[in-house]
Amino acid sequence: MAHPHLDVFPSPRKPHGPREDSLPQVPPSSPFPPITTGAAGARSSPAAPAAAPTMEEAQFLASSPRATGFAASSSSYCPDPMDEGPSVSVPGMPFAEQIRAAGRRASSGSPEGLGAQVQALASMSRGIYPLARAEALRSLAAVLETADARGGVVEQCYGCAAVLMRDEDEGVRLATMRLIVLCADKLNEGPDGDSHDHQMDIMFLQLSSMARDMCTKVRIEAFNALGKMQRVSEGVLLQSLSKKVIKPNTGSGSIIKGKKVPPKLIYPCAAGIFAHGIEDEFYQVRTAACKSLGALSKFSTQYAQKALDLLMGMMNDDTEAVRLQTLQSVFHMATYGCLSVQEMHMHMFLGLLVDTNVLIRNSTRKILGSVNLPKLQMFKSAIDVLITSLEKHQEISMSSDGELILDKPRIRALLIVSISVAFSDVKHNKLDIPEVIFSCAISLLGKISCAIGEVVDQNSLLSYLCQRTGIPFWKTKLASTESGESKGCSIETASDICAQIGKTGKSTKSVDEILAMQSVKSIIETVERTWTMRKSSNIHDVRTILRTCQEDLRILASNSSGSTRALLSFLCEYLDAVQFIIEILRSIQLDNSYNLGPTSLNVLLEKLDVSIRRMKCCYAGFNREMEIQVCELALLANLFELSKVGIHSKLVLDKLHWVINRLDCLCADGSSKLSYFSREIKKAFDANFVGHDIFTLLELFHPKPKTDYGMLKAISADLQVRDNDSENPSPYVCGLPVGVSYHISLYNISSQDRLWLRMIVGESIQHTFLELSCFGGNDEVKSGSMIVPLHITPMACSFVLRVCLVMECPFGSVSVHQEGNEGPRGSIVELSDELDVYFVCTERR
Amino acid sequence: MAIECLVLGAGQEVGKSCVVVKIGGKRVMFDCGMHMGHHDSRRYPEFERLLAGGGAADYTAAISCVVITHFHLDHIGALPYFTEVCGYDGPVYMTYPTKALAPLMLEDYRKVMVNHRGEEEQYSYEDILRCMKKVIPLDLKQTIQVDKNLLIRAYYAGHVLGAAMIYAKVGDAAIVYTGDYNMTPDRHLGAAHIDRLKLDLLITESTYAKTVRDSKHAREREFLKAVHKCVSGGGKVLIPAFALGRAQELCILLDDYWERMNLKIPIYFSAGLTVQANMYYKMLIGWTSQKIKNSYTVHNPFDFKHVCHFERSFINNPGPCVLFATPGMISGGFSLEIHQLSFSPHTDSKGIMDLTEFLSPSHVILVHGEKPQMAFLKERIESELGMQCYYPANNETVSIPTTQNLKINATEKFIMSCCTGETKNNLQKHGRAFGGNIPEGCSTEGEVEGILLMEKSKIPKILCEDELLHSLGMEKHLVHFEPLHSSGIEEVKHTDGSAVQQGSLGCE
Repeated sequence: MAHPHLDVFPSPRKPHGPREDSLPQVPPSSPFPPITTGAAGARSSPAAPAAAPTMEEAQFLASSPRATGFAASSSSYCPDPMDEGPSVSVPGMPFAEQIRAAGRRASSGSPEGLGAQVQALASMSRGIYPLARAEALRSLAAVLETADARGGVVEQCYGCAAVLMRDEDEGVRLATMRLIVLCADKLNEGPDGDSHDHQMDIMFLQLSSMARDMCTKVRIEAFNALGKMQRVSEGVLLQSLSKKVIKPNTGSGSIIKGKKVPPKLIYPCAAGIFAHGIEDEFYQVRTAACKSLGALSKFSTQYAQKALDLLMGMMNDDTEAVRLQTLQSVFHMATYGCLSVQEMHMHMFLGLLVDTNVLIRNSTRKILGSVNLPKLQMFKSAIDVLITSLEKHQEISMSSDGELILDKPRIRALLIVSISVAFSDVKHNKLDIPEVIFSCAISLLGKISCAIGEVVDQNSLLSYLCQRTGIPFWKTKLASTESGESKGCSIETASDICAQIGKTGKSTKSVDEILAMQSVKSIIETVERTWTMRKSSNIHDVRTILRTCQEDLRILASNSSGSTRALLSFLCEYLDAVQFIIEILRSIQLDNSYNLGPTSLNVLLEKLDVSIRRMKCCYAGFNREMEIQVCELALLANLFELSKVGIHSKLVLDKLHWVINRLDCLCADGSSKLSYFSREIKKAFDANFVGHDIFTLLELFHPKPKTDYGMLKAISADLQVRDNDSENPSPYVCGLPVGVSYHISLYNISSQDRLWLRMIVGESIQHTFLELSCFGGNDEVKSGSMIVPLHITPMACSFVLRVCLVMECPFGSVSVHQEGNEGPRGSIVELSDELDVYFVCTERR
Repeated sequence: MAIECLVLGAGQEVGKSCVVVKIGGKRVMFDCGMHMGHHDSRRYPEFERLLAGGGAADYTAAISCVVITHFHLDHIGALPYFTEVCGYDGPVYMTYPTKALAPLMLEDYRKVMVNHRGEEEQYSYEDILRCMKKVIPLDLKQTIQVDKNLLIRAYYAGHVLGAAMIYAKVGDAAIVYTGDYNMTPDRHLGAAHIDRLKLDLLITESTYAKTVRDSKHAREREFLKAVHKCVSGGGKVLIPAFALGRAQELCILLDDYWERMNLKIPIYFSAGLTVQANMYYKMLIGWTSQKIKNSYTVHNPFDFKHVCHFERSFINNPGPCVLFATPGMISGGFSLEIHQLSFSPHTDSKGIMDLTEFLSPSHVILVHGEKPQMAFLKERIESELGMQCYYPANNETVSIPTTQNLKINATEKFIMSCCTGETKNNLQKHGRAFGGNIPEGCSTEGEVEGILLMEKSKIPKILCEDELLHSLGMEKHLVHFEPLHSSGIEEVKHTDGSAVQQGSLGCE
């Protein structure tokens, strides 16, 4: 009766759909049997959640003979794979977003609802529309992200993904891979993560088989996904490097460590996937492959060695991005200690050292700096080429913004090497190192002279360096002190020396300080550049740049003292604020609905607020410019508050009024001018924000950190409790007050400041006012010991008291009146780090 | 319906590729090559077999169309012979670059044959030109309706400039003939690229059926290292370069390296070869690799920065240099084989497996390879991918069954029952958890039962059980059974049988 090759025609996915036999064949022992698609009838059921068809539509869809897949794909249009539009976007709010939003609110409270959700989405993922299938998979991923890994949810999601791995639509295939990676993550996180090792291998192989896809985007995603896998067995990893199928159980046990045997290669094309990836036509794929190669090499040394061989080949790649990524991957391997450079690799590294591209040279040096070269010969050749490279390109690792980072030990080493060679080796006497490097080297004098040892003494080295730098002063000074070394230079008076310093354009501060200020300048320029590029570039890049700047500032601060140090730490705060502002602007751009309760935006606003308060209160000796700047930040913060609430709360308006007044006051005498931003805000405020869009106002802000802050003083405090740590807790009696003895040092605190001790035990807080008259010392440093009674001892056998010194913040204290609440009025700033004090109950006899 | 595949050439050998496939009554000839190793009648495929037993009067009637994959002589060499000497007058398809380069190759070979070897001329220059006039050019992914039922489409194959894989389809039967292809990209050519297609048959080359090649990076690295070492020692490097393709590949490689290493040593390229080859490459940028396409807008990568024209007087110049030496004539087709050992544009065994797995056809036929290796690959394909695989010798025919899709109608009620039944199930199951708010069209998997009704002159349709009688215009029969005593067992059986007959009446 039935035709032997009968195929129900309107079954929409059949023409191109995956063949049953190409579906993943997970061995029966696997905990997740893949959910195979049902019979043709189930497939043709018009499940289309995105379009949500009514019954009539459904009939129409099913009964109208749909064009075959062939006709649909027979257009002669041949798009560039990289330019293809996102075929996976769905108009309207994507379901995955909704889930994510909902997930935040409701979390994964009810496992029953979760199960139903997953089941519904799973069934949608078998719909006939590719966009709907992709969306269903993305939604599953969203659900999985918010859920915990219990109750087979992960298994179900994985089942869905496994079935759709060979879908005809690339959007679906992309979503599949993301889901699989997420599943792998969840399984690893789960309580019995170890038991899934075999499953990990299978997932890895599945992803590998996707990496031979004909669609470029899928390949990129596949390699990215592979790089995120964890706990993959060595055999499988090695197989991913070799196109030849490594047969288990045949070779010696060296391939298979331990008892794990790699699963039989279910997907023949999963073999040697990295060998393919690094030869890919598209550099994006090659980059992704390189990255994953590096990321996976921490799991197996044998793998790392073979991966290095592959990566070596990539250094000849024609795309710079790929070469850089290769170097980065090698560096990654070096960081994880799984890089072993052999003699055969040296040729490549040495070649890269003299590459014409400065970034390549930098990265190579970075790698060579963190690797152990097994043979002296190799080391020597590396040094030789390094010197040649330095000679040729006249550089010592500059950071990306052209600033010398002296704090990196490696750079120091390089500097030492290059200079010592100039000294000790006649051959390299013509070394042409730029002056600036010598001037930097002066600060490293001790180390350099140490390195050179007996060859030359410290003083003549210094004179040499100064001579190269073009600062005659140093040389003559030395000559004057060391009569033996005198080279016939006339002894100059102190005034002459000063004049010469003036000539060289340096201030009278030490070289360190000059360097610090120069660095600060370049950091500030970087920050300004970053601000301008905040919209065009990736938020991660912006974050990284700002963090690096902060890092640099901190290092500089730790090496300096006095007002320079205060300035540097102030700038750190400023950068903090800038970073928060960028994040806030971004989250405002991303999402204009603020009605989801406390969100990360609120947290950011709070952080910005604290940061501004610290800037206002923790530094003394501002000049006017600086205060204007801080006020502008405060303006911006208040404006954010306004934009967030939507309605203009009295409190915020009051605060805004206060800041505007203060700004007016500062600029009253005309020596400084209000910025355009402040003027616009003022106008808008006067007009009660009628006709002014807050968001356009926000756009007007532009940070302009300055360096001429005058003599800044940092207000801070140091809080100590003697003889107390978690090993030696202080005794107390339950329910009775206990005295705690503090040793407090205050820096730059004026007598008007109101300081409090904030003591927190669990939920309860106690504030104790600090009488400044109890402290001895001068204006700069006051210190003293005091015993403060703690009333809020809990009824417990032990507890931890968290103590912090806080200061009332006199600015902007449009008072938030707290009735009957002891403690500081208005807002506060923390002056010291929070300190833990440990207490244990004494037994009553 | 079956697909019949007649291998006229390149069956269990390399050379004179020619496969004639009969799908749904249409006969398509893929490639029309000549064998370089023979100088007698064996050099051409035995075209007479097309006429034997087919009942067709001439070749034009016997063949629907000829499709050429690329311009190598073992794929195109017999074409002028077939069209001009044998008299085939139907359509011939090839890609634009192939059409541009084919006359050069053919004429060159003809000259070598006649002038150098002194053989009898098989076809004249005019024949080549006339033959080329019959060619209809193809573009990539362009679908050509050869006639009402037959359509063909070309996909990018890598291998050489203009090489294509051909997809052909008649009705529901579809095949892909790969020609020669390369699954790993070169610097100047991309990797083969094809869509996921539903295929009954894949005819693939199998030059390297058993070889798995390592990454070419290692070879490139060795090459560059050797060249660099030689020139930095003041030596001269001589690189034999052949025709189109490999020379450009090496040139790009060296040019890149020179740029990066900032080397100033001259690279010479003999003028004739450069001008001709690079001219075509510059014109046919669209058929090269992604890298070349990307950089093309800024700088034509075939305008090499460090490569200069070679003059004979340079030969005695002191100092190091790199020289691409040309063997002079394209007759070096044989030398080309030797060269392929290092930088081959053919896919390896892994590539064949990958493509086969990606396309997942029902059957695979291997051509263009050597017998023992093909046998090995056949085993792999059958065991690992579970597909039927053949490797016929020349002049053998393989017949392959095809799937046939049948259009059926479905009644409204049946479709309703498909979705509503499922939705109801879900509602009952999850209604509580969802608060009754179930997305529409949400169904769990399950089977739906229906009856397929195939009547003689009508389109078959699928319907629900209770619609059956209505659509047949029959009445419902009810058969009751009375409990009987053991003595009447024979009778019971009889009654039972008739009841079954009655019940199945409508389902014939």
